[in-house]
Amino acid sequence: MTLLRRHNLNRVTFLMVLLLFAGGGLASVQADSITVNARLVLGTSKEKQGSKKVSESIRKRLAKVFKWMHYHQLSSKKLTIDDSKIVTSKLSKNASIKVTNQKNGKVSVSLFSGGKMLLQKTQTLRSGQYMVLAGKSTGDSAWFIVLSKSN
Amino acid sequence: MNENEIQLKVQALVDGELTGREAEALQQRINDDAKLQHLHAKLTQMRGLIADSELPRPLPESRDFYWNKIAETIEHEKRAGERAAPPTPASRWLLRWLAPVAGVSALVLLLTLQQPTAPDLGITLNSDHELEMSDDEIDVMTYNSDDDSMSIVWLDYSMDIQRDYMELWLD
Repeated sequence: MTLLRRHNLNRVTFLMVLLLFAGGGLASVQADSITVNARLVLGTSKEKQGSKKVSESIRKRLAKVFKWMHYHQLSSKKLTIDDSKIVTSKLSKNASIKVTNQKNGKVSVSLFSGGKMLLQKTQTLRSGQYMVLAGKSTGDSAWFIVLSKSN
Repeated sequence: MNENEIQLKVQALVDGELTGREAEALQQRINDDAKLQHLHAKLTQMRGLIADSELPRPLPESRDFYWNKIAETIEHEKRAGERAAPPTPASRWLLRWLAPVAGVSALVLLLTLQQPTAPDLGITLNSDHELEMSDDEIDVMTYNSDDDSMSIVWLDYSMDIQRDYMELWLD
């Protein structure tokens, strides 16, 4: 209180400054965690009635590269991962991913099939960027795991 | 001859530094020029004043002896400098080998320290993708969009994702 008197600060100002510091600290803690959207997508030549389509942004990007014109979203999962933490998500009976929130916005994704790791991809994932893991499926179709950052 | 040179000549005449012919020619010129006459008179007066007020400094010894003493002192100091700490054979050997080795080591160290620092070419690399495969038998193709907004890894690995997905739900 001597400090307040000496610098002619009232209690309200002091509390506001304190709240600002606390808020800043909280924001920095929250900034360390990321949210990753993981979508399981099936690409086909023919349209499938009754299935959920992927967002137009993803469809356009995939159709620009691949021959398939229709992309159906089988599932979508939101994974919130704290700094330096790993989250595992099962996308189908055999396929699962393990996502690691590395430092400086880097994300590492490991793809497993039947419990066996196939690959690990590490990159800086910014908002608006997509990381896609893909392969052939039965018939004239392909599987896609589309990952993007939410925050 | 410009004015400054003439003034210096007049000064030299006053100091008695000119030869007979030079002095004669200059004296002739001074006689014809009132300005130079004035300068000559002033300088002569000044010289007289300095000469009168300068105290004589008699040498403590005879001139020859005095200069001989100075010459001996210089010679003595020169010889002392030559005799001072001649390097021992061991230290001379060390100096002969250590100096170049130290020089080369410093150069190597400098080059080694500088090597990891890549030159700043002002290029920003957006792609920082790392891919690690755990099965060498699976062929992989990678694609990055021009704006780096989408990266794709295509695996030569077939999965019946639709059936798998349905089974996950049925389980």
